[in-house]
Formats: sequence, structure tokens, C-alpha cells
Amino acid sequence: MAASLCYNFFFLPPLYTFTITDPTNFAAFFFFTVIAIVVSNLAARVRTLAVAAMARARTTDALYAFSRKLAGVGTLDDVLWATAYQAALMLKVRVVLLLPGDGSIVVKAGYPPEDVLDQADLAAATWAWEHNRPAGRGSDTLPGAKRLFLPMRTGRGAIGIVGIDSDKAGPLLTPDQRRLLDALIDQAALAIERVYLVDDLDQAKRRAEADRLRSALLTSISHDLKTPLAAILGAAGTLRGFARKLDDEGKVDLLSTIIEESERLNRFIANLLDMTRLEAGSIKLNTSPQDIGEIVGTALERASKMLARHNIEVEIVADLPMLELDPVLFEQALFNLLDNAAKYAPPETTVRVQAQQEENTVELRVLDEGAGIPPDEIDLIFDKFHRARKLDEVRAGTGLGLAISRGFIEAMGGSITAANRSDRSGAVFTITLSIPKPAERLDTAA
Amino acid sequence: MNATPLKVLVVDDEPPIRKLLRMGLGTQGFQTIDAPNGKAAIELMVEQPDLVILDLGLPDVPGLELLRQIRARREDLPIVVLSSRGDEAAKVEALDLGADDYVTKPFGMEELLARMRAALRHQLQVHGDRPIFRLGDLSVDLVRRIVKLRDQKVRLSPKEYELLRLLVHNAGKVLTHKFLLRELWSTPIDAQYLRVYVRQLRQKIEPDPTRPQYILTETGIGYRLRAPD
Repeated sequence: MAASLCYNFFFLPPLYTFTITDPTNFAAFFFFTVIAIVVSNLAARVRTLAVAAMARARTTDALYAFSRKLAGVGTLDDVLWATAYQAALMLKVRVVLLLPGDGSIVVKAGYPPEDVLDQADLAAATWAWEHNRPAGRGSDTLPGAKRLFLPMRTGRGAIGIVGIDSDKAGPLLTPDQRRLLDALIDQAALAIERVYLVDDLDQAKRRAEADRLRSALLTSISHDLKTPLAAILGAAGTLRGFARKLDDEGKVDLLSTIIEESERLNRFIANLLDMTRLEAGSIKLNTSPQDIGEIVGTALERASKMLARHNIEVEIVADLPMLELDPVLFEQALFNLLDNAAKYAPPETTVRVQAQQEENTVELRVLDEGAGIPPDEIDLIFDKFHRARKLDEVRAGTGLGLAISRGFIEAMGGSITAANRSDRSGAVFTITLSIPKPAERLDTAA
Repeated sequence: MNATPLKVLVVDDEPPIRKLLRMGLGTQGFQTIDAPNGKAAIELMVEQPDLVILDLGLPDVPGLELLRQIRARREDLPIVVLSSRGDEAAKVEALDLGADDYVTKPFGMEELLARMRAALRHQLQVHGDRPIFRLGDLSVDLVRRIVKLRDQKVRLSPKEYELLRLLVHNAGKVLTHKFLLRELWSTPIDAQYLRVYVRQLRQKIEPDPTRPQYILTETGIGYRLRAPD
């Protein structure tokens, strides 16, 4: 327009006025002006479109970045926090996210952080959740609420609620912003669903693992209970039915079988009870200062029958400090290690029990001279129902002893590890126990 | 043993256990009377038993309560308690309430008979302690206060001797930490002092102190001197 006026002023006679006298010139001026107006309008349109396109591109970029961020986070809390943060940042609003829980819908995340909603907002959020439709500020339902609540939906239905508000007067969101929010919500809903699915999968895996353990338990129980029972029943039945045909030696043999198998059954049941107590978390510690050497002595005494054909060597450093232990549990843990050594180390070999003081700990070792532990099983050896491979037929172990040892030792704050001996073949089990602080210790005055 | 057989009251709700005890104790010359519950047990007290075998898990009364009632009637009656594994607290409580000893189910008949003999020792030996106590390589002269291991004199501190004397006097019987602490020290003292003295005594009288054969540890309960054969 300015250009048309200049053209008129400078070039159309009469010169230096805005008056147009010649009709030809008038027509020319008119066309010129019209064209100028059209062109300038077009240019403005193009620029507006370009600006809008750039904004959309930025939004798309941000959404893309957001979706990548969501794909990378694993926990529900992370997903919620990222969503709240992103929505608050892009829309310049305050955001709360609500998920079902405790029978209703509760605030799980917010940016800026928010824990509770007032009554009106809670009612709007609940309505939005129950009806799977928007509610609150600027909507048809409960418009008195401070926030606008929108359901987050996936293919399986509403998964949560997002609530937004801002201090700005008037409409909360422009249509563009609303579309952006919808896009954000869709992505967040998918991410939340993904987290749920992973959780479900984990639970399914855990259930499968529990099932596997349960069937292993049943196999183990039925085998370990029935084998000694069969021997006992058989021996007792033979004694009753054929006593007259048996010589004294035969009778004593059968009686010994009954006693030995009963003892085995008793040990197995004791193990099962211990394991059950551990699993139920019903182990009551009864700790007091204990002399390690004394407990080693009682454990060896209890294990003397099963270790009758092994050599036993005890090397316990004199004047070890007293340790805070539950003597009954510790003796059982040690007994199970000795039982294990008796099973896996052949007769006439030496089982060694060593105890020595390290800086702040006492280390108790049980070393045997058996074949050792296959390297790939070292990490598994304390697992329930794990039995060393290929040896099942020879040793009727329960696969519980070492798991119980570990459970008891850890309950007392100690640790237990398994390894192979470096000096020769054989396994070494090490129990590490911390020494109470000097103030709690006793002077060994005579 | 006395001319008349000793009478044992068996209190257990399991018929197979009562039958086993009747037969097993019968072979050793004991006469048994048995009760399936606490009520019957109290009624049978009029028969003046010489010893009671008491299962702590009874259907009608808590075993410890019945123990208290029996003890209230007869202060000197030896009582051996039958209890289950892992329940050390109940064993200690039973011993504190005056039970003489305990056997953990399942038990062997020999073990039960050994406990009964120890509990009856003072009845069986009316003349009191023999002057010289012998156990393996160990001999203890309670009159002259001389302790020998393989005929070598062993020097004990007064407290160590006092501990050994208590154990010898109650040979074969379990002595709780609480009992020993009370007998050995006039003032309340931590149980770990007792452990220290036991360790020292073992160093002096056990052939292999790492694997004690004379002073036995009853884990979580106390100590027992092995009874001479």
C-alpha cells in the first residue's frame, strides 16, 4: 500500500501529489494496489503457516523425545513423574496424575509435586474415573472444580486420570494445547500399561518358579519320606513274619536298619521344619555371647555317628572372642555342613574344622577332601533342593541342609560361602561372623 | 535297687508311647502306671509313684502347669520331661520349674533310662556320693578335693573345682545355666562367665578339649557331666 502511494506521489502526473488525473494511470494504480494487497496477504499466510509448521515440528520432536524417554524407564513411578513433568513443561500448567488404588483413585504423581486434592477436585477426578469422561474445570461435569480431569485410556479402557490447572484466567487450554495433551496422555497410558504388563509377566514368572519349587518339594518329600519308611516297614515286617527263620545276626541287622532309617527320617523332618520356619519368617533369635569352640564341639558330637569313618581335625585358635549367636541355630547350621561333608567326602578322608580371627570377624571353615563342587554349581549350592549332580543315587540328601545353614547364619547377621580348596581337591565352606564391639566383650579373667 | 519295684507314672496322650514305655521300662524292673491326660495324672498321684515321665504336650492341661501341680504335691519326686525338638525355651522353663531332666522326642530307650537313673540317683544310692568319682581317665576325690586325669593331679582354681563338684554331685543330670550361675556366684552375673570357666575346666580335664567327652554341652540349656558307666 505504501508502495502504491509512493508510486502515485512520485511518478503519476501531477507529480508530487496524491491526485491521479489520467484515467489510464488510475487503472494502473488500482491494479497495482490490488496486486500488492493480494501478494502481501499471501506472504503473511505463508509466514503464519511456516510458524505453525515449526511449532508443530517442535511439538512432534518433544513428543517423540517424550515417547523415547518413556520407553526407557522401567518403574511406574518414573513413567508417572516423566509424564507429569513433560505435560507441565509443554503446556505451562500444573499436573497431577491419579491411579486406582485402595478401592478408589489416588494421587500418584504431580508436577509441581502434589499429594492431596480438595473435596471438589477429588469428586471430579472420581467421576472422570468412573465414567471414563472428562470432568472438572471447563467441562460439562462438576465445572466448579479447580482442575480439569481427563481419563488416560488404552485399548483396555481407562488406566488413570490426569488433572491439570493453571493460574491463567479463561480457558485452560487452547485447542492445540488440548490436542497436545491428548497425545501426551495417550503415550503415558501406553507406557503405564507396559509397566503393568511387565509386572504381570514378573508375577507369572514368580508363580511358575514357585510351582517348580513346589513340585520339587513334593518329589523330594515323597522320595525322602518314603525311602526310609519303606526300609522300616520292610525290616519290621520281616522281623514279625520270619523271626524264627532269622539268625541273631540277621535280626540285629534288621533292627539296626529300623533305627538308622528312623533317625534319617527324623533328620529329614527336622530339616523340613527348619525350612518351613525360615520360609515363614518365624525364626526367633535367642542370641547371647557364645564360645565358637564349644558349639563346634557339640556339633561334632552330634555328627559323630555320620562322621564315624572320617578323620576329624579341629583347629580353633585359642582365645577367640565370644560372639553374639543363637547357639541352637548355629549348631544346626554347622551340623548341616558336617552332614554335607560326611555325604560328599569318601570315608577315611579328613574333615577339618578351623576357626580363626580376622580383623573384625571370626571365620569358621569346614574343609573336606571330597571331589569338590562343580564350578558352575558353586552359586547354586545353597539353593533349596539343589543337590550336586550325578550323586543322587549315592547320597540320599534332602537338598535342604545347606539352604538351612545359609538361612540360619544370615538370620544371625553372618554370611556363608562355598568354594573349592586351592591346596587339594575338596570343598571349603566358610562362615564369617562379625565380632561385637570391644565394649560389649568380656575379659577372660580367671 | 530296692526289693519292691520302683513305680513310674507315665503321662502321655499317645497310646503307642505309653505302650513302648510300659514294655521298655518293664524290662528294667520298673512298674508303670500311665495316664493319658493331666486329670488322670493328678488322680494317680495317690499311688505314690517314685518317678514321673511327663509329656509336655497334653490335651487337657499345659504340661508346664501339670508339672507345677505335681511339684507342689511332692517336692522330691523325680520328674523327667518329654519334649519336642527346637523348643529349648520350654525345656529350660520345665527345668526351672523343678523337672529333673528332659528327653527330646523321638528318643531312644537307652537315653531315657540314663536320664531316669540320673534323676533317681539319690534314691538309688542311699549312702550319698561315693567318696571317689571316676569317669574314664578322670577321678574326683570329693572328700580330699583331689582331681586327677590319668593319675596326674590337676590343679583347679576354687571356682573351677566348685563347678566340677556341682557337676559330679549331679553326674548324668542336666544343670541349667541359671542353676549353675546361682550356685557358683552369690550375685547375679552374666552367663558368659560360666562359659569361660567351663572352657577352662575342659582344658584341664578333657582328653581332647575340642571334642569334650566328660562335660557335655546341652545347647541352649546348660551342661551335663556324662554319667559313669
